[in-house]
Amino acid sequence: MEDFIYFFSFQDPNVLMVVVGISLLSISAAMVGTFTFLDKKALIGDAISHAVLPGVCLAFMLSGNKNPYWIVSGAFITGALSTYIISWISNYTKLKEDTVIAAVLSIFFGLGIVIMTQLQQTGNAALSGLDHFIFGNAISIVRKDLLVYGILALTIILVILFFYKEFKVMVFNRSFAQSIGLPVKRLEFLFNSLMVLAVVTGIQAIGVVLMAALLITPAAAAKFWTDRLDRMLIIAVVFSLISGIVGAYISFALPHMPTGPWVVIVLSLIAFLSFFFSVKKGVLTKWIAKRNYQRKIHSDHILKALFGAWEKGKQGLKTENIFNIFPGKNFKTQYSINKLNKKGYITENQSIIKLTESGLTEAKRIVRLHRLWELYMTEYMNIAPDHVHDSAEKLEHIITPELESKLDRNLNFPKADPHHSIIPRDPKKP
Amino acid sequence: MIQQIDNPVVEVHDLMVSYGQNPVLWNIDLTLPAGALIGILGPNGAGKSTLIKSIMGLIEANSGYSRIFDQELNQVRNRVSYVPQRESVDWDFPASALDIVMMGTYHHLGIFKRPGKKEKALAMTCLEKVNMKAFANRQISELSGGQQQRVFIARALAQEADIYFMDEPFAGVDMSTEKALVSLFQEMTAKGKTVIVVHHDIYSAGKYFDWLIMLNMHLIASGPTEQVLTEELLTKTYGGKLSMLTDIGELIKKSDFNPLKS
Ligand SMILES: Nc1ncnc2c1ncn2[C@@H]1O[C@H](COP(=O)(O)OP(=O)(O)OP(=O)(O)O)[C@@H](O)[C@H]1O
Ligand SMILES: [Mg+2]
Repeated sequence: MEDFIYFFSFQDPNVLMVVVGISLLSISAAMVGTFTFLDKKALIGDAISHAVLPGVCLAFMLSGNKNPYWIVSGAFITGALSTYIISWISNYTKLKEDTVIAAVLSIFFGLGIVIMTQLQQTGNAALSGLDHFIFGNAISIVRKDLLVYGILALTIILVILFFYKEFKVMVFNRSFAQSIGLPVKRLEFLFNSLMVLAVVTGIQAIGVVLMAALLITPAAAAKFWTDRLDRMLIIAVVFSLISGIVGAYISFALPHMPTGPWVVIVLSLIAFLSFFFSVKKGVLTKWIAKRNYQRKIHSDHILKALFGAWEKGKQGLKTENIFNIFPGKNFKTQYSINKLNKKGYITENQSIIKLTESGLTEAKRIVRLHRLWELYMTEYMNIAPDHVHDSAEKLEHIITPELESKLDRNLNFPKADPHHSIIPRDPKKP
Repeated sequence: MIQQIDNPVVEVHDLMVSYGQNPVLWNIDLTLPAGALIGILGPNGAGKSTLIKSIMGLIEANSGYSRIFDQELNQVRNRVSYVPQRESVDWDFPASALDIVMMGTYHHLGIFKRPGKKEKALAMTCLEKVNMKAFANRQISELSGGQQQRVFIARALAQEADIYFMDEPFAGVDMSTEKALVSLFQEMTAKGKTVIVVHHDIYSAGKYFDWLIMLNMHLIASGPTEQVLTEELLTKTYGGKLSMLTDIGELIKKSDFNPLKS
């Protein structure tokens, strides 16, 4: 807890610096990543994040220390080289792009690991911490690093904001973008460079391999919450910030804990929650909506059964009889009866269930919708009267009052349905 | 029947296009009149889309050139609009119908400028013209195929161009919408704009278009509708076997290089 307050009060300038650094890189990664994701280039992002490793190691070897300028340049060169090789091979051979990506990714990464192992065997003291570049350590960021990585991230953010509408039209429809005279080739080159840069900014804090996750996951999670690009960018940035800062905090609170894996864990959690709970597309949200709908249908059916009895002049149904109408669904039926009771649609007295005044109105409404729809199907859609029941059985639960009055008008306020049953109406309403 | 005219809006000169080793258009040479509603007919794989893409500078020609308003395309881009085939994009993109139509205003805006009220109003009028105003804020993946097509046409209208190339704008569009779109295009051509449309139905083609181009890898006809729409030319376009061109294409595919690319 003390750690927590110490960290988030930002009283330590070093902590503040780390937080600023990780925030900038999280924002830039999420912004680039949103376009990468929409352009279906997630795999390329993955390839780049693996391909920067040999560059980092080579820079180490040549400079002999962890000078950020060297590291960034080395990482950028091999990262960019990998995208270039990928597009070159896929253009000039018949190999599928994903095959090429997988091959290039493993070759570059393998090379990186070989060089790194070599370097570590030489035992150079300055080399300790080289493995930070694999899983990342946000706490190892010092002022000199912040300057380099921060400026890079800021540049990425500004470029994306400047070219927002150009990137948008390019990703949605390349040929149209080209047809209005946008320099699509150059924009694409710019975007690929941004992608490499976005990975490069994260190599120290998040680590090379895991940067791919920080690039793509925020966008993938954000897509569950919105279907507008501007909002998607903002949501992705927020997700990315949360995971970046939490990851940095954990590295701070538990020394030797790498940052990257924690960032990825938090991100995965966010993505997972989005998958289940998002307002529009979440699995759980859909499931709940479906269950509520089915419950409503069941209640509606009970009301209809009671209405049928009422039409025949009976004063209600025995509880037992209602349960018998829905064999094997005792639990559901009991639930619905309780619900209807609470709503005041029915009353239960000495094992006899009766419709109340408002229950009768509601039951009439459902039956009316059913019969109106049956009539519409036979009159306007030329469907035989014995084929209309099933569809009406489903639609009676969802037809809105607006549609109902439209149906009524179209059918000229009919009195009876195709089976000559009376269409029940509320005497209070005209 | 290939009729050449003076002062054409579009001039295609001896155009030859291949995809890699696969020659698709052979020596297309045609001129098109201004202010006409022009149809391009031909079977699947005839190279209709390729012809439009090549005129729009989206694919490189092996040889030959095309000019619009007697100028290079780059000089007149602002006056030219292109409607791609609907299937060429991913409709799951996070955008509303209005967002897409607004893209039609981008080239007037230039880089760095954001579309504002004026652009939005223009986009709305264009959506109204294709009867899609009610769907302005609908996510594009939630539109039907025909509605997506109309969004594309609205985007083209928002470009306020003088010449329009439309790749199958009627694909997946119902009959009454198709008729409405045709009369919209006729209004446009009456104002001096030129509309060039890839079309698949020969019968309606006779009614809709002032000028027809018939294509099957090579140019079969280009001229006023009543002169082009003959039994003989139709058979040549749709029925006739082009075994010679296909054979040569196969031969080129097997060889190590494409001799047509110079
Ligand atoms: N990107 C491509 N790469 C390779 N070949 C292509 C490509 N696009 C088209 N082709 C080939 O070029 C030929 C002409 O294609 P094009 O799309 O121009 O035909 P089309 O007349 O528009 O057909 P459709 O009526 O089906 O739209 C076809 O044989 C097709 O296989
Ligand atoms: Mg086509």
